[in-house]
Amino acid sequence: MSKKKVTLIQEFLKGIWKENPILISLLGLCPTLAVTVSAENGLAMGLAATFVVISSSIIVSMLRKIIPSEVRIASFIVIIATFVTIADRFLAAYFPDISSSLGPFIPLIIVNCMILGRQEAFASKNGIGRSFLDAFGVGLGFTLVLVLLGTIRELFGSGTIFGIQVMWDSFHPWAVMILPPGAFLALGLMIGASNWLNELGEKK
Amino acid sequence: MNLIIIFISAALINNFVLIQFLGICPFVGVSKKMDSAVSMGLAVTFVMVISAAVTWLIYNLILEPTNMQILEYVSFILVIASLVQLVEMFIKKVSKPLYDSLGIFLPLITTNCAILGLALISVLREYSFIQSVVFAVGAGVGFTLALVIMAGIREELELAPVPKHFKGAGITMIIAGCLGLAFMGFSGLI
Amino acid sequence: MNKSLKMILVLTIITVISGVVLSYWDNFTRPIINEHKTSKLNKLILEILPENNSIEEMKLGEYNLYVGKKDGEIVGIAFKAEGGGYSDIISLIVGMSPDFSKITSLKILSQVETPGLGTKIVDDPSNENPTWFTDQFKNLKIDPEIIYVKNAKPTKENEIQAITGATISSKSVVNLLNTNISKVKKLYIEK
Repeated sequence: MSKKKVTLIQEFLKGIWKENPILISLLGLCPTLAVTVSAENGLAMGLAATFVVISSSIIVSMLRKIIPSEVRIASFIVIIATFVTIADRFLAAYFPDISSSLGPFIPLIIVNCMILGRQEAFASKNGIGRSFLDAFGVGLGFTLVLVLLGTIRELFGSGTIFGIQVMWDSFHPWAVMILPPGAFLALGLMIGASNWLNELGEKK
Repeated sequence: MNLIIIFISAALINNFVLIQFLGICPFVGVSKKMDSAVSMGLAVTFVMVISAAVTWLIYNLILEPTNMQILEYVSFILVIASLVQLVEMFIKKVSKPLYDSLGIFLPLITTNCAILGLALISVLREYSFIQSVVFAVGAGVGFTLALVIMAGIREELELAPVPKHFKGAGITMIIAGCLGLAFMGFSGLI
Repeated sequence: MNKSLKMILVLTIITVISGVVLSYWDNFTRPIINEHKTSKLNKLILEILPENNSIEEMKLGEYNLYVGKKDGEIVGIAFKAEGGGYSDIISLIVGMSPDFSKITSLKILSQVETPGLGTKIVDDPSNENPTWFTDQFKNLKIDPEIIYVKNAKPTKENEIQAITGATISSKSVVNLLNTNISKVKKLYIEK
């Protein structure tokens, strides 16, 4: 794969669909399943992860010539954990309700394979600009899936979207959707649907 | 009594994988074959118990007295990463057959969110030392159980006519959902 | 430069920088977070022991007691307790009259009961009063202990009605209160 041919726009767009971290690469599934009981939670989680992946990519890309390859994973983890702590404390200070409903899943961004994967596969080999676009795309792709999954589960599980009632009055919420098994079922169907859409796209 | 509740809750009712979604990556990745599922489960349980003990000591003896809780995440992940290395070296020295069966899974464990998740939840719930260790054993048993059940089903699944867009990850998720529903039946045990 | 020296140096520098950045951030955010925590706890205790104008914390065995006083006189005692529910541990805070004869107020702090059934111990959207379950405990006599009845209105002063479809969750709350109240009462009287 020659790097020169990949335009900047492609660098950004690939994370959103073609290499979507959740639907295609199946990375970062733990938070995806756990926090998406509502669209709001999905959005908060997605934004926190996007912040972490962008900031760590920039730093890792800046330091890529200095960090010896033997300790690169350890260095990446320290850098990621630092930004995760910053994001976690920020949420705890300014959005205490969201912070307590996401619980341990904000700190668990540290071991999200998606973020470490971006450092290892991309930021440690590319310049700051490209690393930023790559991280931004991946973060956005992650956030979009999280919000979509959160919206679907909230819609059927509570009859609301972002806390606003949208279903008719006599609608009886499907409690299973906000229960843990509903997360697996909804994500399984979404993965199936995205494979189908991809195939349609290729046929054209 | 409380210890029994913690154990049953982590292993069955609030199964670490199927209900709390910790350790999903290996659950999807390593559940294709029965014997590798068993080895992975054992390796994770082993590291989980040791890291639960060590992180508890670090948090309660160093971070809390010095008021440095902000370093919780950085220090936990460094400890877990180096612990995994140590365990790997130790097993290699002590038992060759054990190393051959667990060896390739150990490096994967560092980024297994079940390990860090366990340490964080123990701090969050203010568990005592014994409670954290019991919690870790329960979580490890639950993880192994989920992995083994899933591997059993997936071995059968290879012959089943799955719709092609759902092959692999899609059907795995849906089966995990059904298993989760089944595990919810354990509610009321405590 | 020696390779392993460089490794150690780089890793140390990164960790030190991370520590410095974080401790700065800690100084900045900690007061705000602590404020949230204390205001949450104060609000909670004010809800549980409404007539107090000063709160004293007291350690008694494994319990943290919050003694509410008004003009120097004890008006109520609150403490947290937890125990097994239907799915996992239920934790709650309960306010008692100073002589431990009745409950003045009850609030469930955390639970993961079955949505739509067990969660009615906190919030029952099908009832006109969503908190009817915990409201039953207001001014409930605990002599000799709390009893729950199924599918009927409570008739005695120490009875509450269990939630239909969530008997175990209701029973757990009652058992949790009975065991912990008698324990705290014993410890408190000894003191």
